[in-house]
Amino acid sequence: MSAEVRVWDPLLRIAHWTLVASIVAAWITAEINLDAAKRAHEWAGYAALGVIALRLAWGWIGPRYARFGQFVRPPAATLAYARAVIAHAEPRYIGHNPLGGWAVVALLALTAAAGLSGWLSVTDRFWGVEWMQELHEALANALYALVGLHLGGVVFTSWRHRENLVRAMLTGRKQAPHPGDVD
Amino acid sequence: MKPRAFLLAPVLCAALLSLPAHATGLATCDSGAREGWQTQEKLTAMLKEKGWQVRRIKEDGGCYEVYALNEKGERVEAYFHPRTLAPVPTGSKGHKG
Repeated sequence: MSAEVRVWDPLLRIAHWTLVASIVAAWITAEINLDAAKRAHEWAGYAALGVIALRLAWGWIGPRYARFGQFVRPPAATLAYARAVIAHAEPRYIGHNPLGGWAVVALLALTAAAGLSGWLSVTDRFWGVEWMQELHEALANALYALVGLHLGGVVFTSWRHRENLVRAMLTGRKQAPHPGDVD
Repeated sequence: MKPRAFLLAPVLCAALLSLPAHATGLATCDSGAREGWQTQEKLTAMLKEKGWQVRRIKEDGGCYEVYALNEKGERVEAYFHPRTLAPVPTGSKGHKG
């Protein structure tokens, strides 16, 4: 077994899997038309918003690979990476690759928007306001699509670099840098 | 690692996504053909009379599902029978957010 390096810190991993749990919980409870399910759905949304607030702060003050500055790349660099993927010549990144980095940003933004619109839907001001309910559903559906894309990216990158990235998000460890990898 | 295990992921996702969009409702009404239904406008007027602020009326399980602020200003999600406009019990005092 080859050497490994610590990449994902414990708080980042807890935040990731808590967000997964809250999104899955919100998804399941959205399909069940019972009072208890509605309450659970609301709490799942609040949990997601809490995790996002924590993750945003961690993106500024957290360790290296948790920082947005480390993995959010300019559009040109992201496009160049996408082209390299198509040409089967993309380098391995120790942290997030440029497409994965933008997936993180988009997932956080969309989850926050879905959570906020859901929250507003249960305030006196927006209770029963049709467009807010429709917006909430549309944002949730867009989120599911993006989650699918994220999973596809994880599976694809795991296969390309022969590295189980789901395991990496559980253990926090990835293979030590090889020559040609981007740190 | 076993690449084959990863192939299960998209299959699992597709299976989960194909769950029915709407499971059972909070209430069901044996409301029959639409011809015998009273209008949503009438229900709105009736609830307004009670001091409710009606926000939205949907159809759910053959009932009218009303989102409103009641006379106390509380958020309620209440069900009414389209023929009689009688309140339909949902096993709870309406949903409060």
